[in-house]
Amino acid sequence: MKYTTFNQQVSNPLTEPMFFGNPVNVARYDQQKHSIFEKLIEKQISFFWRPEEVDVSKDRVDFQKLTDPEKHIFISNLKYQTLLDSVQGRSPNIAFLPIVSLPELETWIETWSFFETIHSRSYTHILRNLFSDPSDVFEDIVLNEEIKLRASDISRYYDDLIFATQLWQTQGEGRHHVDGQDYLINQRELKKKLYLCMNSVNALEAIRFYVSFACTFAFAEREMMEGNSKIIRLIARDENLHLTSTQHILNLWAKGKDDPEMQEVAEECHDQARDIFIKAVEQEKKWASYLFQHGSMIGLNKDILCQYVEFIATHRMSAIGMESPFEVTTNPLPWMNNYLNSDNVQVAPQESEISSYLVGQIDSEVNADDFGDFDL
Amino acid sequence: MDKVCNTFQVSVENVTPSLPCTNECTLLESLESHKLEVHSHCREGFCGACRTKLISGTVDYVTDPLAYIDDDEILPCCCIPTSNLVIKPG
Repeated sequence: MKYTTFNQQVSNPLTEPMFFGNPVNVARYDQQKHSIFEKLIEKQISFFWRPEEVDVSKDRVDFQKLTDPEKHIFISNLKYQTLLDSVQGRSPNIAFLPIVSLPELETWIETWSFFETIHSRSYTHILRNLFSDPSDVFEDIVLNEEIKLRASDISRYYDDLIFATQLWQTQGEGRHHVDGQDYLINQRELKKKLYLCMNSVNALEAIRFYVSFACTFAFAEREMMEGNSKIIRLIARDENLHLTSTQHILNLWAKGKDDPEMQEVAEECHDQARDIFIKAVEQEKKWASYLFQHGSMIGLNKDILCQYVEFIATHRMSAIGMESPFEVTTNPLPWMNNYLNSDNVQVAPQESEISSYLVGQIDSEVNADDFGDFDL
Repeated sequence: MDKVCNTFQVSVENVTPSLPCTNECTLLESLESHKLEVHSHCREGFCGACRTKLISGTVDYVTDPLAYIDDDEILPCCCIPTSNLVIKPG
């Protein structure tokens, strides 16, 4: 089916499925099939922030004091996060917008992607502050074998869906021969690709970011690189919201609350989807080994980090009705919760450089009783 | 109408029989005040980290929960008890 930017056929968005129905025509939000996406848009916009609001200038001094293994951990993490957000800043738009059928979901996808571009810009903000010329760091992202390994797995499911959608839109259903390869295109195949892609995105938002987050916050626990941690906290808050949206989509499908065929696909591809998740966990654990290959940092080592990945994976998997193969039941990094708490996120620039100002504070609460023996 | 301050008994299955929890603070804050460790991140109802099974009882939400929860689940970070509860953290 050819894509049209304004579908003139009359359709009722209240009866359309989330994807692969009629293309959206009127961007209207007075009536919604799944109002949760409108609520997510509102929440996300209320989180709006700009990287420039956060002062990272003190990080440069801190960075010089880091040991070489710590510098490796810090920079490698930033490279990986840059890769993740480079993918996320464009892919939901390219993969999902051509096939979305609900106006509120279409706008959510655009809002989501836009925030990923804020994240991308903030990595440049951080790196520009640390190095007079950060181009070596950026250039290594497409050369570094460890990062490339992850990049191919992250983009694979997106690329598959995007290519299949293009074939479907230009040549319709059927068997197509392109560049020496045969492709079978029909609704069922497209929906399977969509399902696997959504699971891969869900795993990305649920797991892949968290190894890097843990390292960043471990530096902040030592009151190092606090500007960076402030930015990553804002990013973590956004990513949590994005994760919520993919969990909603997957659960709406699985529970038969949207497209009945997607419920069948969810059952059929359940094992494949679970494998995507478990593979992401394995890759993240390998990433942890790469980070700590030259030595650990205070407060964090490879083993604790791997346990944390398993712990968080168990939670994320249960949220989408998947059984976890991991047995970690207690949080090995309890301080992580403080950084993921949205109450602790402040963007006031005057506070960014003194985020540890509560440490030396005394309790100065004054009760009316304290004036009891006070005479005028 | 003024909110009436009430205390309800909350029991956590397989952990503790009965803890007094008021409707003046969120269920998560009450559980934490009893030194119970509940997994939580955003504490605003959008991340779903504190997702908990509600076995019996009723709650009211002080913030609209955005995270996905099943019909028999609650988000302690943004709800208050309105009756005695039996819960089972996820």
